[in-house]
Amino acid sequence: MFEFAGLLQGFEVAFTPVNLMWCLIGCLLGTAVGVLPGLGPAATIALLLPISMKMGTPVTAIILMSGVFYGAMYGGSTTSILLKLPGEAASVVTCIDGYQMARNGRAGAALGVAAIGSFVAGTVGVIGMTMMAPPLAEAALKFGPPEYFSLTVLGLLLATYLTGESALKGLIMAVIGLILGCVGLDPLSGAVRFDFGITALQSNLDFVTLAMGLFGVGEILYSLEKAGAATLVTTRIERIFPTLADLARSKWAMVRGSVIGFLVGILPGGGAVLSSLVSYAVEKKASKHPEEFGKGAIEGVAGPESANNAAASSSFIPLLTLGIPGNASTAMIFAALLIHGITPGPFLIKEHADVFWGVVASMYLGNVVLLILNLPLIGIWVQLLRVPYAFMAPMIMVLTLVGVYSVNNSAFDIWVMLFMGVCGYVARKLKFDLGPLLLAFVLGPIMERSLRQALLMSNGKADIFFTHPISAALLGIAALFVLYNLRLAWRKRREAGAGAQPQQEAPQPRKE
Amino acid sequence: MKSWQRYAGVFLLALAGVVIQQSFWVLRLFDHGQPGSGLMPFGLGVILAVLAVILIATNLGTDAAPEPFWEPKAWVRPLLALAITVLFAWLFDDVGAITSVVVLVACWLFLVERKGALVSAGTAAATGLVVWLVFERFLQTPFPRGLLF
Repeated sequence: MFEFAGLLQGFEVAFTPVNLMWCLIGCLLGTAVGVLPGLGPAATIALLLPISMKMGTPVTAIILMSGVFYGAMYGGSTTSILLKLPGEAASVVTCIDGYQMARNGRAGAALGVAAIGSFVAGTVGVIGMTMMAPPLAEAALKFGPPEYFSLTVLGLLLATYLTGESALKGLIMAVIGLILGCVGLDPLSGAVRFDFGITALQSNLDFVTLAMGLFGVGEILYSLEKAGAATLVTTRIERIFPTLADLARSKWAMVRGSVIGFLVGILPGGGAVLSSLVSYAVEKKASKHPEEFGKGAIEGVAGPESANNAAASSSFIPLLTLGIPGNASTAMIFAALLIHGITPGPFLIKEHADVFWGVVASMYLGNVVLLILNLPLIGIWVQLLRVPYAFMAPMIMVLTLVGVYSVNNSAFDIWVMLFMGVCGYVARKLKFDLGPLLLAFVLGPIMERSLRQALLMSNGKADIFFTHPISAALLGIAALFVLYNLRLAWRKRREAGAGAQPQQEAPQPRKE
Repeated sequence: MKSWQRYAGVFLLALAGVVIQQSFWVLRLFDHGQPGSGLMPFGLGVILAVLAVILIATNLGTDAAPEPFWEPKAWVRPLLALAITVLFAWLFDDVGAITSVVVLVACWLFLVERKGALVSAGTAAATGLVVWLVFERFLQTPFPRGLLF
């Protein structure tokens, strides 16, 4: 059950000066990224990928990237509370009551509760991960190609349905991601696919180039449209530590948020955003004063902030035990592991125990570091908001361009990245979510390999996916999930149609 | 935005057509009775085509409240930034990495962000120095040599 020896080994790894330093840097960077609106953790991890390749050991690179990921969850609340501008997507809900608390002169209490809730939930998430990951990895050893194919199908479907606004657009992006994953050398037959005579495309598309283009360049171009709208912070934070009454009122919200976040975070696509939304809804329902929600209820800050941190920790479980990343940030970490020659999956705990337990232990330490960074040092993060984006945008662009060149020392990669950046920009403008594309790009090779190996096992008969019980169950869940969502969409359309009918009866004259 | 979604659908349909054509005619769906390298892309192409048709079909008609692709003049800054970045990529091999970085930052600050010439030049020089220190000295990245560095 609880692998105490493994965890001790992990602390030995995490406590080395180098890993401690990178854990601190990761937490600092993560908090900064969370505080600054515009640049998300996925984009930052993408920017760090080239640098991580120059790091000596893989565990150090993963400690750094994990720190950025869960650190961003801590920092995201700051701008939500002070500016009503979410630092990253998972803190959108915090804007509602956090900002109202700030307007009522209780910014300090809101920031304090968010930090304490994040710490509690982050620690609960890591404890859950410590206990659940080894048995799950053990169970995953029984998975063969049909099971892996069905698991990737289910994972991708859940991720596309749960992350974005439109399931259709999410599915389109996932299919494009899978197609991009096919470009280059076919790993099974050695055939070259979709190279169109370009030699550089004969080796597969590089993940770093794709990720930095879509998330780095695309994000910068998109944010340039909005630049100038950012408001400088003038709020003075009087008292950062919440009162005992505040803590008493928010303690159950933190507990519930931690549990919800942990459970939702394990689901592919569940992640931090969904968990914070679910937590807010639960808190509103559980509260004795639901009328206070939206006007500065402290539970509306404590619950979602706890949930998104617990989800950030638990989303590492499917990544490290099954080799299935659940969101864009963990997809980046997945790629980083592959770059370092480590295949995430059930064998990771046995074959690279130092990496697995080192990362887990660093998360315990990281949560303590983040509590220190986010409580007494909150003033520094608020000052960071004063740095003009005008100077940050070209710096990020330079880091992206030079970083992508340094991966393969290839100027061609710069052109590919720019092309991807333009595609990412247009996709964002048309409200296509980029997460499923990246996730599918990572999962594509696993899915194709499993599909073809399974078909080889069954002499080309597709019934192998339904005769294997685990595979059949996973595909059954996927089918039920799609049917349920189709029914929901159908009902929504019908309701919208019914709502629009009176307007159709009396059409407005339109000027051509 | 509906018309733009339809354009996106048409583009995706064309993309699906290319994928299907390549998978079916250039690659093989089955090789000696076993799944070939074109099987999965072919399936994906078909799915993409179906999804593209649904995207077009669900965006027929006009918006109740039309939303432009770009707000007035909102395209200027991204397009200018993109042009400067393309210039960077074009100069990179011939002029050298560090010089290109300096040119990129200076042009960006001066043209996109409308900063003064001195601030732009100073920041660009400082960025070039940091990139040289971090990437060339610390990370030992073999940058292309150019006219100046």
